[in-house]
Amino acid sequence: MLRSVIQMVRRPVMWCAMFLLPMLMFLFFPTIMDDGLPTRIPAAIVDKDGTQLSREITQTLGGMQMIKLTESLNSYTEARHAVQEGRIYGFFMIPENFEADLLAGRKPAITFYTNMTYYVPGSLLYKTFKATAIYTKAGVAVNVVENVGVNPSDFAGLMQPVNIQARGIGNPTLNYGIYLCNSFLPAVLQLMIMLVTVFSLGQEIKYYTSPHLLRMADGSIIRALVGKILPQTVVWWVMVIFMTAWLYRFNHYPMNGSWFWMIVNELLFVLAAQGFAVTVFGLLPNLRLSLSVCALLGIITFSIAAFSFPEQSMYKGLAIFSYLMPVRYNFLIYGNIALNGLPLYYSRIWFCVYFIYIFLPLPFLGRIKKAMLKPVYCP
Amino acid sequence: MKKFVSKIKTWIGGLYRVYTHEFSLVLHDGGLLLFFTFLPLVYPVLYSLIYNPELVKDVPIVVVDNDRTPLSREMTRKIDACDEAWVRGYAADMNEARDAMAREKCFGILEIPEGMERKIGNGETAPAVLYCDMRLLLRYKGLLVATTEVMQDMSTELMTEQIDRVGPLALTLTDGNLLPIKNANMGNIQGGFDSFIMPAILILILQQCLILVVGMAGGAKHEDPRLIRYNPDNVSRSVLGTMIGQALCYMTIMFVPTIFMVHYVPLIFSLPMAGDVWQELLFLLPMALASIGMGFVFQAIVTERESVFLSWVVTSAFFLFISGVIWPRCDMPTVWRYISDILPASWGVEGFIKMNGNGSTLAQVSNDYTGLWIVTVIWWVIGWCAQKWVVRPEIKRWRALSSSAAYAMNHNETEGQN
Repeated sequence: MLRSVIQMVRRPVMWCAMFLLPMLMFLFFPTIMDDGLPTRIPAAIVDKDGTQLSREITQTLGGMQMIKLTESLNSYTEARHAVQEGRIYGFFMIPENFEADLLAGRKPAITFYTNMTYYVPGSLLYKTFKATAIYTKAGVAVNVVENVGVNPSDFAGLMQPVNIQARGIGNPTLNYGIYLCNSFLPAVLQLMIMLVTVFSLGQEIKYYTSPHLLRMADGSIIRALVGKILPQTVVWWVMVIFMTAWLYRFNHYPMNGSWFWMIVNELLFVLAAQGFAVTVFGLLPNLRLSLSVCALLGIITFSIAAFSFPEQSMYKGLAIFSYLMPVRYNFLIYGNIALNGLPLYYSRIWFCVYFIYIFLPLPFLGRIKKAMLKPVYCP
Repeated sequence: MKKFVSKIKTWIGGLYRVYTHEFSLVLHDGGLLLFFTFLPLVYPVLYSLIYNPELVKDVPIVVVDNDRTPLSREMTRKIDACDEAWVRGYAADMNEARDAMAREKCFGILEIPEGMERKIGNGETAPAVLYCDMRLLLRYKGLLVATTEVMQDMSTELMTEQIDRVGPLALTLTDGNLLPIKNANMGNIQGGFDSFIMPAILILILQQCLILVVGMAGGAKHEDPRLIRYNPDNVSRSVLGTMIGQALCYMTIMFVPTIFMVHYVPLIFSLPMAGDVWQELLFLLPMALASIGMGFVFQAIVTERESVFLSWVVTSAFFLFISGVIWPRCDMPTVWRYISDILPASWGVEGFIKMNGNGSTLAQVSNDYTGLWIVTVIWWVIGWCAQKWVVRPEIKRWRALSSSAAYAMNHNETEGQN
């Protein structure tokens, strides 16, 4: 165990992997989306009408929170070029003779274009443009009704008779950081935990020191592994507790449930990730191959664990794999406990799954022992 | 003059030898081969498969209908008819609905207030509320789109009806849709998730693949050649010549995988491909060079082949976000924006998305293109320093240490060639 600690402290790459990189990620993700949502997205207006009404629309648009009207262009082509060059993320087009056509009942159409190759700004622009268009429509309707001699206050609720308000539970401001960091940071940690675990075991074999390790553990593979991995576990535990504090306390991400179970969740998650890594190493006791597998699984986790694209919408054959990695359960428990504030009861199964991961390496210990007794390094 | 020409000749000769010898080194290294084949060929397919359904459809919701009128039933029916939502059923009260949500039977609850139809008939408002699970924003977005559409559709209908009642003359003006609102998605026409994220991931894979390959090859140079069972030495007298030779070798190998990624992956998965492949390749040239340059710098700190995994793999998540495809670069804190500016993938992703999705020409992305070339120069200069003062001395040290016969033979051969 002491030997493992020394190895850990002496290698700069371990410092880098266990401390520096996770810290960088902890710092990076919440700070980059500090504002919660992008606020001033560059967009353009193409006003081909140039009347009082069209200028009013431009003003309304300019006053919206999400948007920053950076350009006023003359034609669709110009606006498209601006999108292609990346100067704007979308534009709002008012056709020629808009006001005249509208008042004459010729039903001119308002069209807006959003660049959906950028999803977040594109969607937000869509929302803003749509709201502006709806306001305009309501304003026009009031105008029309007034013109026929009816007092608009007679039908206050008429403009939007049916109203459905969407409310996001736990994240009412649609803070992108809350959505992202709670899944991505544990996934980053899972990747690092798996890589470090496999790396430290593989090193023993690469440098032919594993027989020595086994001898120190009196030939017991369990003692050797625990002695080897436990110091890392402690470091990871400190890291996850820091992460929990960093997210829910310092960044004020929603924590509507029990702190205690959330921390238990994180601690078990570390063990589960280590168990998974040892299993991979047991199946492939070759440093480079098992590292490759862990790297592949760890990186693909960001997508397959359904942090952004729900597993119900994936192809069924792939959706099964979303439950493969431990971090998926971390995410489910986070959603239940921290975000939605549900009692432990609803997460009981996910907690149990952690224990499967922890005991998963048991059948492969024999293989690891064999590999450690006769170390062979394949470059 | 003659001296100068002969100098150039030896320089090119050295470069050529490095270039050709590097191929045999790559073939000797299983790790490099795995990176070269697996990363660019399998990864894009895996990712595309995960996201290929593109849209989030039929998000299950539960309705708590306290009104129980034709209008409330119409609302439920219309939401169910939307592509994005699926009404899983009715719940008797909010408690039952919340339990369904906690058990993940549904991801949204629509609560229709009592007396909605009556109030609307009176010209008052009675908002219905849709509570959404916020774990995934795509689900929320789907439900939001569905409810907005229904809200507008029903409102327009009722408004026309009511205007007709208060002022029959207005009907002629407001008949049907007074002011049609149209919208069009650019670049990613159906607004799918795969089409949005894949172009960025493809470029990131290209960058990461090159950096990992160069890094791992560099890791070998720091190690005992007996351990890795081949001699990683491959140097000519000129540092730059060596670097160019190696870079050319990697780019030769990556040529076909790159075409697979920028052309065939979008083709297979029907992703946007509005750009011209020739121009895209021309655009990616400095991006590849810059990545290799970054790899040369990386070689200075990789002291072991396998440590590239520990110190580099996780950066992919970082690069994806800092590239500005998800979070616009103009809205990042200044520090991160500066960091983003010196990374090849940031420029590469931005430019490639514009070309591939929005059909920009190379001239239209000249900003990103220039950025890439500047970044290339920066990384190559730092890379040159790293090679000259860190990697070379390390190789020399191993040469001095080594006494194995095979190594000595190889060593003489390289020396003789020089």
